[in-house]
Amino acid sequence: MRYSISELVNADASLISRRCWTDPEVYALEKRAIFGRAWLFLGHDSQIENPGDFVQAFMCETPIILARGQDGEVHANINSCSHRGLPVCRADHGNTKRFVCPYHNWSYTVEGALTSIPQEGALCRQPDKSQLGLKPVPRLESWRGLIFGSFDPDIISLEDYLGDMRFYLDAFIDRFPQGIQFMGAPHRWLLDANWKLPVENQLGDVNHGAFLHSSIIPREAQDMIEERGYSVVTAPGHGATFRLMPADAPVDEVAWGMEGMGGLFGGAEVQDYLREIQARASERVGPLRAQMKGLTYGIYPNLSFLWSNASFKVSHPRGPGKVEYWSWAVVPADAPDAIKQVLRTNYSSFFGPGGLLEQEDAEVWVQQFRGSNIDFADDRPYFYGLGLNEEKPHAQLPGLVSVTANEFYARHFFARWRDELIALEKQA
Amino acid sequence: MTRDALCTSPEEQRALERFYYCEARLLDSRQYQQWLALVSEDISYCVPSRINQQVDNRQRGTEEMISVERELQGSDSMGCPIREESYVHLMLRAQRAYKINSWSENPPARTRRIVGNVELMARVGEELSVISNFTLYYARPGSDSFVYSGQRRDVLRAAGDSYTLCRREVILDYADIEYPTLGLLF
Repeated sequence: MRYSISELVNADASLISRRCWTDPEVYALEKRAIFGRAWLFLGHDSQIENPGDFVQAFMCETPIILARGQDGEVHANINSCSHRGLPVCRADHGNTKRFVCPYHNWSYTVEGALTSIPQEGALCRQPDKSQLGLKPVPRLESWRGLIFGSFDPDIISLEDYLGDMRFYLDAFIDRFPQGIQFMGAPHRWLLDANWKLPVENQLGDVNHGAFLHSSIIPREAQDMIEERGYSVVTAPGHGATFRLMPADAPVDEVAWGMEGMGGLFGGAEVQDYLREIQARASERVGPLRAQMKGLTYGIYPNLSFLWSNASFKVSHPRGPGKVEYWSWAVVPADAPDAIKQVLRTNYSSFFGPGGLLEQEDAEVWVQQFRGSNIDFADDRPYFYGLGLNEEKPHAQLPGLVSVTANEFYARHFFARWRDELIALEKQA
Repeated sequence: MTRDALCTSPEEQRALERFYYCEARLLDSRQYQQWLALVSEDISYCVPSRINQQVDNRQRGTEEMISVERELQGSDSMGCPIREESYVHLMLRAQRAYKINSWSENPPARTRRIVGNVELMARVGEELSVISNFTLYYARPGSDSFVYSGQRRDVLRAAGDSYTLCRREVILDYADIEYPTLGLLF
């Protein structure tokens, strides 16, 4: 490379080079240093409840089949035939006994074992099929139904990796008696942007709402968000933003789901359901977290969660200047189907490829890549210094805590990003 | 859906086409407030998501195996449609266009719709089920240009010498979503 990674992100990560976003060599390093080593989100238990159920997933650009085996266990294999490399699974999701490669009909079990090579009967020596199964993802673990995989066999446990983010994720997931459910296939949106900007946006960038989204979000609503808002970094690259509502706030102002379009216009049955969930929140997640009204979360490197807009999202890189952005609507697993159908619009009204708000985000993500990919401006790195060193520990909230205007979530992300790339650079 | 459209009079066919051409002209001229006046306040507006469905072996040899309907996750499904909207959503979209900070449309995209294949499929009381096809050219400043295509499955009600749009389902012909937005008024 023409420069070292340490030149791209300064010591306190308050200055970030444009090349972090655009350079193909940086991207090649990211793949190995980050996506080759981190825990990457694959899917949720609710997508593969029965033996034979499968969904497609990705780990960076590598296609994965996530499936429930006949043994009841979760399996994740690379979706690429051992013979000529074609994907053996072409459907988004489904239920099957076998994955069959279209080229020569090599067939694999849902668990990934090779069961038949049609041509072998005509030959004298048969290959050892036990060595020719699909390549399994080396590490696979789940927490609260969220399934992650890693290409690093030596990575720390998923629970340790998530660390204190579990405290914040549980404020949502544990609120519901049976946890959460992912609805249907993800919306898969291809944008000419770098994968890190959607991540940064959801990791803690609450304060763009007042500006980028002011055609939809009224200033007073944004003021309320910022007034009650906290931004937390539990570990570099992981973050949560949320409001803490006063103990005497009316239930309708605290309850999850009420501020989305489904909650607002979905009718009395939906609202009563949401109030009932909130009424038991304290007993389920404790008094502090019962008053939490989340905004956005990020799990390093590329998983995001939107609380009010009820969505999990993954930013899958497709090169430095292209991202395949996946979003799922998430709903309480115990809710009746008719209520789930209403609550999914809390996501789709504002987010996803048809959402009223996210069309604005997608526009700036694309324009940010264009702005980063220009010449004669490498001496002007991006300013990430807002609120430098203003974050502090908090008596009740795990992690470093600050106001939402503080961009420390992004500095911590880029400091980790930089250090992981440098570690690989040194090995080379 | 039945195979054949209803045998309708030339006058009625002409009236339906007049409605759709007017609608297309208003949308391409960015006269969204006038367009909204064509919409019933109890409208349901849905854009199903379109998935890559697993082949069902039992359907081999039949039209069901590769039917479009199998690919759609609409309002009745337990998947997640791209959009499921009411009048409030459409009003927000229409109003948003006239704000200076609706950044994805500022400067506004240039659009041109061609609507055709208008077929009256059923008549139930006052309500007409009408399908039509469209292509929509979309050029966004500072970005690329895109062609959308799809089918609209509408329910119209007669209103004076025109119609009111009561229900619309938009079947978009994308495989992967490579558009900057699916939030347009199709």
